[in-house]
Amino acid sequence: MKPPRNAGRILLLVGRVILAAIFIVAAYAKMKPQTGMPWTAGSIRVSLSMFAMGVDSYQMLPPWAVNALAFLLPPFELFLGLWLLSGVALRLSSLIALVMIAGFIVAMWSAYQRGLTISCGCFGPGELIGPQTLIRDGLEYLPLAFAVTFGAFWSRRTAEERARVTSSPQQAG
Amino acid sequence: MKAYGSKGAPITIEVFSDYECPMCRNLFEQTLRPMIADYVASGKVYLIHRDYPLGIPAHKYSGQAARWANAAAEIGQFENVEVAFYDNQQAWDASGDLEKYVAAAMSGADFKRVQKIMEGCEPPGPTGKQGAVNLPPHPCSLDPYIEQDIELGNKVPVAGTPTYVITYKGQRLPPGSGFVSWPLLKQFLDNLLRQ
Repeated sequence: MKPPRNAGRILLLVGRVILAAIFIVAAYAKMKPQTGMPWTAGSIRVSLSMFAMGVDSYQMLPPWAVNALAFLLPPFELFLGLWLLSGVALRLSSLIALVMIAGFIVAMWSAYQRGLTISCGCFGPGELIGPQTLIRDGLEYLPLAFAVTFGAFWSRRTAEERARVTSSPQQAG
Repeated sequence: MKAYGSKGAPITIEVFSDYECPMCRNLFEQTLRPMIADYVASGKVYLIHRDYPLGIPAHKYSGQAARWANAAAEIGQFENVEVAFYDNQQAWDASGDLEKYVAAAMSGADFKRVQKIMEGCEPPGPTGKQGAVNLPPHPCSLDPYIEQDIELGNKVPVAGTPTYVITYKGQRLPPGSGFVSWPLLKQFLDNLLRQ
């Protein structure tokens, strides 16, 4: 029984590192200063306001909500990436990642259905929404996030079962 | 010249548009017009119009509209014609009567000059054709201007209209596409100007 459990743990570790990397890279791409600009609060603000224009082109939210989302999402993606990497409260962090990816897919699908030729904004500007981005998010990122979430719950349950088994003889004694 | 403002402005925005595209109309009416009145007028932004008539059957007159706009640009009447085309997009999209709106946008004398430039450029009917871009099949002296814009657009690359390219102090930023509301573009321009 020991080898499968270890293999599962290794897979979970690899999965959460990849998922964390996706969020960290996505945050970096949105926040990094444009070419020729130094790393300053002002240049990050330029990049985030550029991302806000990208979010606005989805035409799903009013400008104030676009702004709030555009300025909060990339720092939160960075935080979530680091959180996933740490492994602390993995069930919650992976569940949030899963919900976020599902939300991104819904937004992209909606824009694609409405015939909008716009940048997805997933990893900064320039990547147009199309079958490629939908397949990537829907068939790669979403299953990965689902697998990590499932693994996190499975791992927790296994640990609890193990704790129960080891504590039972003591209680009986 | 199909442009607004001073070439010396710190920010240059090139907008690749199709006169028959509703999203381009929305961008022009709701975002670019307030920007022209404020940031272009105050010398902060130089706005360049680039023709990118899409080759889709629904856009039957976009190539011809681009020719009229370029003819108007020859005599310094581009701004009036662009406004007239976007203000009346639904009307000429249905009727194909572009000339009516060009005539209404300028004095009779200017319209005669534009008509003279357009000699030989009038197509016999709707010009829509399937392809990357939409230009009537027969040659016209104004087509090189449009083709030049299309070539620039293909280098961006333009995948749909509107697509905008922002250059700040000579540094070209990644292109954006689709509609952007004025408050968000204004916020971006302000942040850029603070650099």
